[in-house]
Amino acid sequence: MMRSKWNMRLNRIQQKHTIERIEIMLKRLAKYSVLALATGLVTGLAAGTASSEVHVQCPDDTNGNAIEDAGEVWTNPNQVCMHLTGGDGYVNMSDIEASATAVVPLNYDGSYAGPAQQRGRFQYIFGFSDVTGMAPEDVLIDGVLAAQYAAPTIELREGQEFYLSLTNVGMAIRPDLFDPHTVHWHGYPDATAAFDGLPDVSVSINMGNTLTYYYNVKDPGTFLYHCHVEATEHMQMGMLGQLFVKSAQGPAWDDLLATGGPGNAAQVAGHTTGDEYVYNDGDGSTRYDVEFALQMSGFDPEFHDASYSVQPLPFAEMNVTFPLLNGRGYPETIIQGDLHNSGNGLPTQPYDALVEATAGETILLRLSNLSVTQFYTLMSPSITMKVVGTGAHILRGPDSAETPTAPAVGEDLYYETNSVTLGGGQAFDLLLDTAGMSPGTYFLYTSNLHNLSNNTEERGGIMTEIRLY
Amino acid sequence: MTSRIKANRAIEIFALLLALVWTSAATAVVPGIEGTVTVGGGAGGNDLRAFQLWARPGYIVTGEGNTVYMWGYAQGIATPMNHPGPNLIAQVGEEIRVTLTNQLGAGVDTSMVFPGHVVDASGGTPGFMTNEAANGGNVTYTFTATHPGTYTYYSGTDTSLQTEMGLFGTIVVYPAAGQPSGGGTSGQAYDVDNSTFDFEYLYVLSEIDDAIHNMVENGLAAEVNMNERKPRYWLINGRTGPDTLFPTGAPYLPNQPNGSLSRTCVNHDVLMRVVGAGHDPHPFHTHGQNFRVIARDGRPRVSSAVSPVSDVGISDFTLTVNPGQTYDAIWTWKGENLGWDIYGHEPDPVTYPLPPHLPPLEANEDPADHGKPLPVLLPEDQFLTFGGFWSGSPFLGQDGTLPVGEGGLNPHGGMYYMWHSHTEFELINFDIFPGGMLTMMAVEGPGVDIDGTVCP
Repeated sequence: MMRSKWNMRLNRIQQKHTIERIEIMLKRLAKYSVLALATGLVTGLAAGTASSEVHVQCPDDTNGNAIEDAGEVWTNPNQVCMHLTGGDGYVNMSDIEASATAVVPLNYDGSYAGPAQQRGRFQYIFGFSDVTGMAPEDVLIDGVLAAQYAAPTIELREGQEFYLSLTNVGMAIRPDLFDPHTVHWHGYPDATAAFDGLPDVSVSINMGNTLTYYYNVKDPGTFLYHCHVEATEHMQMGMLGQLFVKSAQGPAWDDLLATGGPGNAAQVAGHTTGDEYVYNDGDGSTRYDVEFALQMSGFDPEFHDASYSVQPLPFAEMNVTFPLLNGRGYPETIIQGDLHNSGNGLPTQPYDALVEATAGETILLRLSNLSVTQFYTLMSPSITMKVVGTGAHILRGPDSAETPTAPAVGEDLYYETNSVTLGGGQAFDLLLDTAGMSPGTYFLYTSNLHNLSNNTEERGGIMTEIRLY
Repeated sequence: MTSRIKANRAIEIFALLLALVWTSAATAVVPGIEGTVTVGGGAGGNDLRAFQLWARPGYIVTGEGNTVYMWGYAQGIATPMNHPGPNLIAQVGEEIRVTLTNQLGAGVDTSMVFPGHVVDASGGTPGFMTNEAANGGNVTYTFTATHPGTYTYYSGTDTSLQTEMGLFGTIVVYPAAGQPSGGGTSGQAYDVDNSTFDFEYLYVLSEIDDAIHNMVENGLAAEVNMNERKPRYWLINGRTGPDTLFPTGAPYLPNQPNGSLSRTCVNHDVLMRVVGAGHDPHPFHTHGQNFRVIARDGRPRVSSAVSPVSDVGISDFTLTVNPGQTYDAIWTWKGENLGWDIYGHEPDPVTYPLPPHLPPLEANEDPADHGKPLPVLLPEDQFLTFGGFWSGSPFLGQDGTLPVGEGGLNPHGGMYYMWHSHTEFELINFDIFPGGMLTMMAVEGPGVDIDGTVCP
């Protein structure tokens, strides 16, 4: 089961390697701090711009850690804040037999996290990490070299107001790089240039500083997010994650059942308090019991190794040989719990791809593809999938809002299938109805069958299990 | 050879050049040629529209400074060849006649096929798929444009190699009264209500493996193994990024006349004509908003022949464009329900004494957002890296002060969105990022003139 929040802290007593990098970072920070302070005093208040360095913008959050601590009163009940860092880090691939890398798992406070893990090939990455809850003054030290892959999943509810602060903590392993970062919420409807995270048309945040995005969370669906700075490089290096918005229909129909008159929509659709729906379908047709988010992607190990060893990047030769699902290859996709990396022992691959349900339940799979090189077809050989949404939009024809000169149409276009093909940047909502199925283990895997491998190791890649109990 | 160019620096390199040619506006009417019309000259008494094309070698340039030997179609016997071939513009019901003259060189036959149309060929010699012309010879193809839509044409001879070399183009057939006219930009694409548009743009997607072109250029075409093709360049309308952003008709790109920089106004409908003209599929992503597909391969997406609207086209943010397919989709940016006033309206009790002391609503403004401030502060300049298309202000139609040398590509303070292949590997020119299959769509603010249509 995947988690949607991380609260991580990193003890200052780290391996010597990291301390050296921190010293370089501090010298760089000192240079910017003086400049920032001086400028901030002179122009900051007058120009109405944010102050320098790490600066979380979250209304009523007095200590800048993006969470509602005891003693704070947040006046907007729909407000959600999050603080991400953009930087570098380490993961390991899933070719356990071929690469046989031993990992000593560490917690973020430096303590041992459990028995040794056997992982695959070591990989250097760029990525995001979730520092929501961390004091701002700790972020540029404790949030360095902590990137996770896949990036922290962003889970929202329609109707919220989302303040996303992104702090660029720099690349500890590559002090020669000064790359800025952005967050691109892929698919946000009526996106504005300022908050769309596309560097060529907007602003991106430099090292040692924070940019806060604002989103009125107005449409439900399955989206995705990634850094868009030097997208080919930053995305191959791992700055990709999942983002979805739960519809308001469930809570709205809870209210209707409790207070509404007879024959209301919730009653007609057979709503039970607590039921959730992918979209505001109006008829209950996108109801589900359990949801799982699965993101397909992949690593080119030569590209990552070239980045780690400060070599020119082989863009034209990019070739993904580690296909990944939620950042892992099978069989690590079915291991519940953190996977730690062999670089600094941290749990930087927290998401499995295991799907679990009680037989008879309807499973929602929020499926996306952020591969930078190819299309993948995902097959569910035993459990039929019903496609109810694509591109964060219910799979229906246009309604009267889109076709003002014609009667409302909104024809249902749901279809059943055992496979879906996604290119990069695509997202599908899939309902799997397990009514009448026996308990047991079923599979989900790419029918690009050569991608069922972790580099040279067979029985890997984009595969996971659906366990019905 | 490998190297990297940071995105903002690469844009800066072109900023000065772009500023010099900015006065020639991006074409909001799909570029193309209209041939010669003979009223009643068709076999059935319909109008006859005749085109003449010359298949001829030439060179294109790529964004990182390379040149590639191509085969293209020229509009005249002495004019530069074009890549892609010229877009042929026609009206539904017309008889279309295309006469092809082959100037590709000794020993190279060529021909044209027109998917979606039933074609009669005359002249030349019968070939594998259709009649072919030998070097120096002609062949004529005739068909009726029975349905409005977006179509392709390409070589029917040694098709895998000749299309790789660049021999493809498009045909746009308009329904009655559908073509923009009278200096306007609006029209209609099909006989369904929701195919009307305020602006229309053509995006022809393709790829190039320049190693193959080098072999052909050096007389080694017979040794080319198309199964080993590995593209290193990705193009929209025959240009790699960021050349895609230069104006249509740019004199410094004589063989690649079509740009794809696109512009629209708030709440205006954009018709996207997206064509898979290469050999590979591409996930084409529109930043800024979903699109609604209304037609595929020249047929509206309708549940029955009498549907007044395209009622079964899907909405999505990334379109799978497969080779050989064409898609028509409508994209409309509304700027609704964002939680802040995108025009930056602020209370001014002196000028507007009545509460809420705000200027009047813009033409397409969401009243619910009117006067709401930007909910966050942007960091100071020294903490930010700027894009060349950043106006300096988050507000539509406004610009702000930028450090010297920054910006400059957004003269009207519009909001720009990148439309691109989401296979990011395709956003490079060989080993150089940025490049490849990317272009921009700009939403402009009130008062901006887009090819004769002024944003309200």
